[in-house]
Amino acid sequence: MNAAPVERRFRAGSMADLAALLDFIDMACDPAGADVGFAVRLAVEEVFTNVLEHGYGGDGPVAVCVTTDGSQVRVVLEDDAPTFNPSQAPAPDLASDAPDREPGGLGWHLVHQVMDDVQHKSRGERGNTYTLVKRLPAPAP
Amino acid sequence: MNIHIEPRGDIAVIAINGSIDGLTAEELLKTLQAHVQQGHDRLVVDLEGVAYTSSAGLRALLATVKETRRRGGDLRLARIQPNVRKVLELSGFVTILKVFAEVDEAVESYGA
Repeated sequence: MNAAPVERRFRAGSMADLAALLDFIDMACDPAGADVGFAVRLAVEEVFTNVLEHGYGGDGPVAVCVTTDGSQVRVVLEDDAPTFNPSQAPAPDLASDAPDREPGGLGWHLVHQVMDDVQHKSRGERGNTYTLVKRLPAPAP
Repeated sequence: MNIHIEPRGDIAVIAINGSIDGLTAEELLKTLQAHVQQGHDRLVVDLEGVAYTSSAGLRALLATVKETRRRGGDLRLARIQPNVRKVLELSGFVTILKVFAEVDEAVESYGA
């Protein structure tokens, strides 16, 4: 049986908030274990920095809500930046040798790799809701 | 994040302690680039004290390995923690960076 959901909220507005945001994620994910916490921390940082750098081009509000129960961690990030669907993010270069390797697209690639589900909804011309889900490993029998 | 640089002959062993994220990666990049600009282009980055990196850390490493190789040197990694290794693997970085279990192995690899 799943534990009762626990919901925690955080509001960030600039890169200066990143350390506090990551501390918040570590705290919220602590019951889920270190590996789940690492994945969620990485995914949240990548989404947050992408929203600031490419969405706002600077500072702007991002509301983060983490819900944990006995089966998964669900993170919802909401911004007021221009609509951006992560399925339109450039594919990362994973094969070129070092001199030709470009780092673009790695952020969203990592988000999709470490999370079990990534959903995007736009709220008109501005405003995105990103929902990230990480399922907890099944307990040993 | 703390960065400690220890010369071993003409090789610099750069030990990092702490998380490499969107805030700390810039300091790492500046430190690495300043060291390379001073003519030290054979680097070993000791990652034993790093339990977390985001793509920001990868960008710092990529920029530095490009610069060192352009100058005839290299940047090699040692003692990578499991979650950091996972990020490197998912990003295809283990195919472009030389990775060693121990710092001494990485240092000695420059003489091989």
